[in-house]
Amino acid sequence: MRYILLLLLSLNLFAVDAKLRIETDVEHRTRIALVDGSSVVNTKFFKMLLSDFKISGHFLADSTQHKEDFSSNFIAPALKSKEYVLKYKLDQTSGTKLIIRLLKASSGKELFKKSYAIPSHAKAPFLAHKAVSDVNNILKYPSVSWLNRYVVFARYTSAKQSEIILADYTFNYQKTLIRGGLNLFPKWADPKQQSLYYTSYAGVIPALYKMNIYSGSKRKIASSEGMIVCSDVNRNGSKILVTMAPQAQADIYEMSASGGSKKRITTFSGIDVNGKYVDNDSRIVFVSNRLGYANIFKKPINGRGVSQVVYHGKNNNAVDAYGSKVVYSSRVSKNSFGNNAFNLYLTSSNGSGSRPLTTTGTNQFPHFSSDGSVVQYIKHRGNSSSIGYINLKSKQSILFPLGGKKIQSIDW
Amino acid sequence: MIKKMILTTAVLSLVLLTGCGQTAPELKEGSNNNITDASALTGDAVSINENTYGNESSSMGNSSSDGFQSVYFGFGDYGISSGMESAISRNVSVAGQSSKKLKIEGNCDEFGTDEYNYALGLKRAKVVKDALESQGISPSKMVIVSYGESNPICSSPTDSCYGKNRRVDLRLIK
Repeated sequence: MRYILLLLLSLNLFAVDAKLRIETDVEHRTRIALVDGSSVVNTKFFKMLLSDFKISGHFLADSTQHKEDFSSNFIAPALKSKEYVLKYKLDQTSGTKLIIRLLKASSGKELFKKSYAIPSHAKAPFLAHKAVSDVNNILKYPSVSWLNRYVVFARYTSAKQSEIILADYTFNYQKTLIRGGLNLFPKWADPKQQSLYYTSYAGVIPALYKMNIYSGSKRKIASSEGMIVCSDVNRNGSKILVTMAPQAQADIYEMSASGGSKKRITTFSGIDVNGKYVDNDSRIVFVSNRLGYANIFKKPINGRGVSQVVYHGKNNNAVDAYGSKVVYSSRVSKNSFGNNAFNLYLTSSNGSGSRPLTTTGTNQFPHFSSDGSVVQYIKHRGNSSSIGYINLKSKQSILFPLGGKKIQSIDW
Repeated sequence: MIKKMILTTAVLSLVLLTGCGQTAPELKEGSNNNITDASALTGDAVSINENTYGNESSSMGNSSSDGFQSVYFGFGDYGISSGMESAISRNVSVAGQSSKKLKIEGNCDEFGTDEYNYALGLKRAKVVKDALESQGISPSKMVIVSYGESNPICSSPTDSCYGKNRRVDLRLIK
């Protein structure tokens, strides 16, 4: 009993939530002010810069949108208490051009200057992310290159209809990659995000395709009666974990990225899905109902023996992993229907060091960033849905509103 | 003397350029960093309309057809209840009268997430296939596909509505 109480106490002590989070360690973050020197002031762009600085975990950005001449080195007296001032000039008269100048707040001296130019208007959010990533790098903080990555997701448009969308991490930029029919479970195929895997229902049975998002060329990797989903890609992109059911039984297989060879990893007669590589790709964690409810287990890829990773909750139905870190969603309410509360928990592949990451609402679809430092998730609260991010080190969190259409699957 | 100066400059540069954890690092002021790039963002992704390829899923109805009856399931469950046995018998009879292949589609309510819900739909389709096979329908005549939560026929937030979505549909493949 004493240990259970201690466990519950420790779980609550480390809870982080988008709404309740108390911003700590403020004094350790770099104070920076943003000064808009554009001829046409763009509040939306300013807010994107602000969000980027916040979720980086390294900056305490002034939330006031200051305006001033871009070229001058004058620093307003009110901003001299900051450490840095970032002056920027956005021009969207032809394509999108951005120039940034990082000034030392105390002296106004220029420390860094960079210009960016792309032909697209719509991709302006990526320039904000790139600029903040560059400022972060020039100040020698740990990389936040995950700001620059594409998010890909599938959302339902009507019964048996969906679309696969490309987005920036804030969802301010969105482009439909595939529309028409039922196309689900998009998953990045390579670290550079040139290609993705997805499941197509265009045939009688579902098929897994790999498509280059720039050329549109695609190739069938495999098909399976029942279902087929690419759940994970190993670190060098040479192998994939696939949930498929060639004998009408959903199990996890490891395949070569070309689909040429496959090896069955799980053999349970119930449900085994959502395989994710852990521990240097030597094991997988996955979701299984082998105890009568959805829970998280692990298994060596080249060995026998399944072990339980999570020992709480009665519906832990989604998992992601990075290195030895594991994040999963767990239903905490007992209702069969209605507003079920799902919370996210962080643990390790051996089940140690568990702590909740959220405490309110329905939080699902957890995904680690490309460096494992940030968790992305979907949050439903009341009638609204958001895409959320939790910086695991700084404990900063941020939410961006989503449209009304139901998201089916997401990858970052 | 020159060697000393080079060594001193190198040490000073190293001190100035090395970051200091979470505190704001000092920079060498006035360094020239005028760079133009972001070339990685200039590529434009494609936009494909799959309907142009004659999509199977878009051409099909959203419930049972061809005289078959849908089979309904309890929350999170994939066992056939006694109340559904008459629907199984009816479906065996209809399937036996056709030489066409039978498609068995597993569906779920919205209370699940991505892969697990699709596996649950698959288990439901499989149990209906097994029931039909046990009553004489050849397994080679049947194909099963899970549609997870993608094919609701009811969207009201009520228990009875959710129950209508936890079903297996049957149809002949055209």
